[in-house]
Amino acid sequence: MKLLKRAAAVLAVAGLMGASGEAARAADEGPIKIGVLHSLSGTMAISETTLKDAILMMVDQLNASGGLLGREVEAVVVDPASDWPLFAEKARELIEGEKVAAVFGCWTSVSRKSVLPVFEELNGLLFYPVQYEGEESSKNVFYTGAAPNQQAIPAVEYLMSAEGGSAERFVLLGTDYVYPRTTNKILRAFLHSKGVSDDDIMENYTPFGHSDWQTIVADVKAFASAGKKTAVVSTINGDANVPFYKELANQGISATEIPVVAFSVGEEELAGIDTSNLVGHLASWNYFMSVDNDLNYAFIDKWWEYTGDKNRVTNDPMEAHYIGFNMWVQAVRQAGTTDVDAVRQAMYGQTVRSLSGYDVQMHTNHHLSKPVMIGEIQPDGQFEIVWQTESPIVAQAWSPFIPESAKLTADWSYPWVCGNCTEPRYADWFTN
Amino acid sequence: MGPITRRIGTLQGPRGWAVFFALIAIALLVPLLNLMVPAGSLFYVPDYVVPLLGKYLCFALLALSLDLVWGFAGVLSLGHGAFFALGGYAMGMHLMREIGDRGVYGNPLLPDFMVFLDWDHLPWYWYGFDQFWFASLMVFLVPGVLAFVFGWFAFRSRITGVYLSIISQAMTYALMLAFFRNEMGFGGNNGLTDFKDVLGFDLSTPGTRAGLYVLTVLALGLAFLICRFVVKSKLGRVATAIRDAESRVRFLGYRTDRFKLFLWTLSAMLAGMAGALYVPQVGIINPGEFSPANSIEVAVWVAVGGRGTLFGAIIGAFTVNGAKSFFTGWAPEYWLYFLGALFIIVTLFLPGGLVQLASRVRDGFTGGRNRGLRAARRSARATEGETSHAT
Amino acid sequence: MLRLRTLIALLIVALVGLAPLAATAADGDEEVFQAALKGITASSFEEQLAAIDTLAGLGDPRAVTLLRALGGGMLQVRKSDGALVVAERDGRDYILSDPFTGEAMGTVSRRDVDKITVNNALRGAITAALSRLALFDPDVAKRREAVAAALKYPSPEMATALNKALEAEEDADLRRGMERALAAARISSPDKAERLAAIETFAGSSDPDIRSLLMPLQDEATESDPEVRTAAAEAIKRIDNRLALFRLVGNLYQGISLGSVLLLAAIGLAITFGVMGVINMAHGEMIMLGAYTTFVVQEVFVAALPPAYLNYYLIVALPVAFLVTALVGAALERGVIRFLYGRPLETLLATWGVSLILQQVVRSIFGATNRRVANPDWMTGGFELVGGIVLTYNRLIIIVFAFAVLIALAALLRYSFFGLQMRAVTQSRGMASAMGIVTGRIDAMTFALGSGIAGAAGVALSQIGNVSPNLGQTYIVDSFLVVVFGGVGSLWGTLVGAMSLGIVNKFLEPYSGAMLGKVLVLVFIILFIQKRPRGLFALRGRAAEM
Repeated sequence: MKLLKRAAAVLAVAGLMGASGEAARAADEGPIKIGVLHSLSGTMAISETTLKDAILMMVDQLNASGGLLGREVEAVVVDPASDWPLFAEKARELIEGEKVAAVFGCWTSVSRKSVLPVFEELNGLLFYPVQYEGEESSKNVFYTGAAPNQQAIPAVEYLMSAEGGSAERFVLLGTDYVYPRTTNKILRAFLHSKGVSDDDIMENYTPFGHSDWQTIVADVKAFASAGKKTAVVSTINGDANVPFYKELANQGISATEIPVVAFSVGEEELAGIDTSNLVGHLASWNYFMSVDNDLNYAFIDKWWEYTGDKNRVTNDPMEAHYIGFNMWVQAVRQAGTTDVDAVRQAMYGQTVRSLSGYDVQMHTNHHLSKPVMIGEIQPDGQFEIVWQTESPIVAQAWSPFIPESAKLTADWSYPWVCGNCTEPRYADWFTN
Repeated sequence: MGPITRRIGTLQGPRGWAVFFALIAIALLVPLLNLMVPAGSLFYVPDYVVPLLGKYLCFALLALSLDLVWGFAGVLSLGHGAFFALGGYAMGMHLMREIGDRGVYGNPLLPDFMVFLDWDHLPWYWYGFDQFWFASLMVFLVPGVLAFVFGWFAFRSRITGVYLSIISQAMTYALMLAFFRNEMGFGGNNGLTDFKDVLGFDLSTPGTRAGLYVLTVLALGLAFLICRFVVKSKLGRVATAIRDAESRVRFLGYRTDRFKLFLWTLSAMLAGMAGALYVPQVGIINPGEFSPANSIEVAVWVAVGGRGTLFGAIIGAFTVNGAKSFFTGWAPEYWLYFLGALFIIVTLFLPGGLVQLASRVRDGFTGGRNRGLRAARRSARATEGETSHAT
Repeated sequence: MLRLRTLIALLIVALVGLAPLAATAADGDEEVFQAALKGITASSFEEQLAAIDTLAGLGDPRAVTLLRALGGGMLQVRKSDGALVVAERDGRDYILSDPFTGEAMGTVSRRDVDKITVNNALRGAITAALSRLALFDPDVAKRREAVAAALKYPSPEMATALNKALEAEEDADLRRGMERALAAARISSPDKAERLAAIETFAGSSDPDIRSLLMPLQDEATESDPEVRTAAAEAIKRIDNRLALFRLVGNLYQGISLGSVLLLAAIGLAITFGVMGVINMAHGEMIMLGAYTTFVVQEVFVAALPPAYLNYYLIVALPVAFLVTALVGAALERGVIRFLYGRPLETLLATWGVSLILQQVVRSIFGATNRRVANPDWMTGGFELVGGIVLTYNRLIIIVFAFAVLIALAALLRYSFFGLQMRAVTQSRGMASAMGIVTGRIDAMTFALGSGIAGAAGVALSQIGNVSPNLGQTYIVDSFLVVVFGGVGSLWGTLVGAMSLGIVNKFLEPYSGAMLGKVLVLVFIILFIQKRPRGLFALRGRAAEM
């Protein structure tokens, strides 16, 4: 028992020492720290490690070109290990312990939900780079991925057009979590508004990492044999996609018969699959690696150089981080400080030329205006862009297709100053 | 002194009591240093340390509950995470109801995720959770009833050893898949989050967190004493005998299944309590807590600390989680090597866990007999017991 | 790349063969042809579609080559003179050649050419157009493909082409196919008798594609004649009845397939856990190592051997993966597990540590992202059994492979000297040792065997799923359940366990959904173990105590 006490004492002292050392370091001198909160182990490591590398690369570049406000930028990488409560713990450690100026991180909605209270409590700044279900606008988060109106709805509109094959019947396949559920809810409402009846919509949800797709692919085939052009809208997540596409290809479902449009399948996911039998299946994103412009090619070259591997691909969430990081740098320069409140103000209206070739802008709902692109899978694992918007589309944080959310407004500028309100809150700031 | 107080007094020797209270006192010092000492002082404890230690304390409580059944009745559960998560969900449901109309959609009755998925009424199993007393009752009742039913069948059918471990794993796996389903009405993959306050105290203030922390320290202390009381009682000694040679105990006329069932149910309720304390401190509960890997990890904590000693479980939980927190920040790319190596080394060289290491180190200095050594011998005996069962 | 080259070669052959014909094309046709060429490059999708139809109708052999290049996404427009070129990618540049002569036209930067974007709708039109032309191909196989496509893309133009082709066709099988395709085209005929005749032709069918064709005929919105509607409804009902029956067959096959995957995943564990009593949490990682070995062998084949050999890399990967994982297994046994015999629950902790390390090793070497393991040609695709049930080759081969492994293992245990020694050691270590068996060596070999089988399973499983560091984790829980359900120590138990779980799961899935189906199966296992605490095939006697 004595030993126990000793051990406890050592632990406590160690904790105190570490803590006081941290506290002594002021946030205004030395390098500017930013946090990288992406899983490097566990199930999400597949997707998130790339994003960590991308941020590190951009930090390197920034430092090589003279840093920020005359100071060096240092990325603090931690591994939340695909463990949601650990995300919250690490976020707290980054903001309070490491005093980071901003955090780039999270992939899944649940990880974002887990860190959200921490960022709001400690007034941190999170850049969230993944397409998601919307229905959120926090003062402390900038959402650089797509909202449903920047990805799902344009894709379905395309499928219904003559060019996209005039689909009349839809299968909504998804992994059972909040993003597919919400997206499909919005899509169902949208399809109703286009005159598609419930008989022509099939919805199916599978667990994470689902690996046996035989039954579902057979079901899709049966559903498609009703004499109407059928298309599949897939919100299947990460890991489950490889077995899904392998089954699809081997069962001989070609894109000309039943096209599959996916919102979570990008270059990185396709890197694990032989795509020669998947040509023509689609994906909807705000960026594809195959975008033809010099900025993009230069970025790809740097990426290859940084990773030392010419087979590495770039994808949409990486581009979102590219936008987020550059916007943050611009905002910090403009504000002349890394202070969160000042940077947030400077972020609004900030414009960055994105890798997609468009100028994207941060709006006061903390979301971006982004272009929408629809690409078809090619035999080399890349996408060929078959359709894109003329100009960037402004994100709707709250979907007009969900009655409860249609009432809400997200606008952090005068006079609203609120992420989810039915009336302006500016006056409240004086009474409180 | 009445008979009960006398028995409590004999739970551990005077030195044991001194250490026990000293540790509680040290633990209680942490929030004081956080709240009272100005930032920048040498003795200041930063805000993030309090919930972090609070989290470890909850894990320690969970490990303690597993040690009660594994260390003293030889029942290795690979599904204790399920009881923990159920307790957590019960508390989480209360916290969700407390949000009331402050959710993003402003619905006074339905939590946000239900509004969002078009639910028009509250499912029946959410009723009552707006009352704190009801939720607190459920924290113990839900894991307790599940454990009782599961244990009643399993122990009566004489499912032992690996078989029990695997089906307890199947149980938590099934629950995980079930809770993942959005139709279940527990928030699916995202689980329950966005909590505002508990009993009127704002969860995001350091004061509330310190309060929760103190509560967890006291709960762990109390649970330790309860476990101590149980294993010191006649019932506990029969359980230990069951661990070492179940058939013999049965032949002596004991209903071994009932002894095991009692410990098992008690243990599940303690795990549920750990979960309930965990949720308000980390701010989220989701089906990931049911994952089999989490439950295996709990067993690892106990083994690393030293099973069959109760405080070994607490040490193990603190060591492994502390190491995890430290390495995931310090060496994010390599921490799994350290953790993996730790498990292998402990199993190979320290079958009695860190407690045994401590006693070995002490033997080097004093050579005397002591509690740690006895613990090591106990676990060595336990190992022999297992050997006699193995093929 | 292979496909590209073949395509170009084909083009050239076709051009050389057909060039004289092209010269004889009438001048009027030539004008139409040139107009169609312009249409292809039009920005409007409708114009492009019309141009494709025109090209297909001309019967000009140049159209075939052009449409093929277009369908392959290789046709581009040279900006300098607006000429159509075939462009092959070379880094970020393109190697150009003439679409008709195949003559090389130099290398240009991506800025100098404009790609003609082909989307699904155009690709469908091209396939239909090409199949219309291919109906007259001298090659029987080509004609067969064309007939299959004709059934999928019925149209009045297709009907005309089919009628013409029927006159010349001699192959009886093909004639039948053409008649069916013709009937399909006739479904949209304005003549009521023709439609009725088409329905008559298809009433005996059990093809979901046919059902799909008939659907509009029973719908009031698209069919005005009540007589046709009743006939169509009747025919669809008969098709549906047959399809429902076939679905059961399909479910059974899917169940067996899932069962074989479970069997493969669990069979190595049946040795390490079932026979040796080691709770081997690193079993999943052995499967993962097998899958990564497959990836490495594939990369070596790509790098070192001509492309033609790539089809056989799996045959090499199998023994390599077996050896690699067997060695890792032997090292694991000698290094860690041998100190833990008789303490099964502690092997759980140590092997859990090993599994964490192995995952991180793989992540450090290969990266955290998925790796591409391609199906060789003989494992790609599938054949349609009946009524839309497609048996995919990769799954079929895995079923066969799983059984082969099981039989080989059973034979090894039963008949070989090693098997005899192994059984002796498991049954009574002390006695075996007294009889002169070096038990330590046998232990290492047994564990290596179990691990090696897991590695071989990894080769097979890489063909249907992800190859990522998490691969093992997805199989480990299921593997343990299969072994425990079947009865620890019984190979046949593992077989029956895997198959019954697979089939039950697949029969539940259509009713309950994938998620609930799995939950029900787990609950079923928990209840079943209450009834038979030692699994399906319990070993009796002392060996059962563990």
